[in-house]
Amino acid sequence: MISLPPSERDLHAYVDHQLLESDRRAMETWLAGHPEVAAQVHAWQQDAQLLRASLSGVLQTPANPQLDPALIRQRIRHRSRRHLATAAALLIAVGIGGLGGWHAREATHPPTLPMTDAMQAYRLFAQDGIMPADYKTQDSGTMQAWLDRYFNQAHRLPDLSQAGFRPVSGRLLTTEQGAAAMVLYEDRQGQRISFYIRPPGPGNGFLPRGSRSADGLQAEYWSGGGYNYAMVSPVGQPGTPLLKF
Amino acid sequence: MHALDEPLRELIPRLRRFAVSLTRNASSADDLVQSTLERAIISWADKRVEGDLRAWLFSILYRQFLDAHRRSRRYARMLEFFTGRDDAQPSVERTVMAQSTLQAFDKLGTEQRALLLWVSVEGLSYKEVADILEVPLGTVMSRLSRARHALRQLSDGEIASPSLRILK
Repeated sequence: MISLPPSERDLHAYVDHQLLESDRRAMETWLAGHPEVAAQVHAWQQDAQLLRASLSGVLQTPANPQLDPALIRQRIRHRSRRHLATAAALLIAVGIGGLGGWHAREATHPPTLPMTDAMQAYRLFAQDGIMPADYKTQDSGTMQAWLDRYFNQAHRLPDLSQAGFRPVSGRLLTTEQGAAAMVLYEDRQGQRISFYIRPPGPGNGFLPRGSRSADGLQAEYWSGGGYNYAMVSPVGQPGTPLLKF
Repeated sequence: MHALDEPLRELIPRLRRFAVSLTRNASSADDLVQSTLERAIISWADKRVEGDLRAWLFSILYRQFLDAHRRSRRYARMLEFFTGRDDAQPSVERTVMAQSTLQAFDKLGTEQRALLLWVSVEGLSYKEVADILEVPLGTVMSRLSRARHALRQLSDGEIASPSLRILK
């Protein structure tokens, strides 16, 4: 409830329609008896109206296609691909120097088995732990947000919280098929499952849903939203077979 | 298409209007809007959603403008404006009355223009404006008051208006 005579603050609130209805009526009654103040308030109202009128024309300016959000999003994506490439240069150096050069091998003989790179990434990051994470979190919502910066319209991160797994770290890498990311989940016992995402590559190699195992690792893979995905975990890790992705 | 794109697209005309009122130059304004949209899209992921999108975008745009103001070299075309080559184009649709209000408006400082646009034109609440400027509500009120008096005096020119007694 405003007090009368009104403070200047209340007069502005009146001009800006920010008074309660009862206060607004009280103000109008009071202004009717105080023409000098009413004139001032009216002048402010008129200034506001004229300002609205004079600035309304700008709203009709023809659209500038350069400002379309989809286009801007695309530009950002191209830029983040370049950032990914920088991160990957480091990864490739590690791969060739320390791990028998599986990158080089794959570059000359494209993998015939689906999502081999997802399993390789699991080995590098989840088992050997040689690369620091690009992103760490305690919260699955922010992990999703992190991932969304690099991948558009991708499938959501699977919620494995029922099985006790939470996303803890994310890493960016490049592959022959394009920019990829791996999100590592952990449970309280320190068991790990990875979510891996990357584009299908130049040949649009989308995958029917399937699974396979190699060298002690199990991969479930599928495609959707323009990307290929894999969930990778060690064969026989307790709890994992119950998960649905 | 991303879920944010459509709401952003709808707000572009308002962002351009705000940008024009800050830069007084259509092409600088669009540069400003573009960098605002970029920032919005990038930081959308980290945004804790509270309050409306428009106020959030205005605050990004305003900060970008102030940044550009400080480091005006970053925006080549804005440089012209900041070095005084002000080629704001007159609009034919504007009424003569509105023209004088607009001329007065253009003479105000950056913050006063932003404040009046947010409150009088866009109808943001005082609270939203306080959040954008990161100042207390009372500070918004006193700055708004000063901006209104300044606009009044500039629009009136010599014509004396009854000055408001300071009411308690």
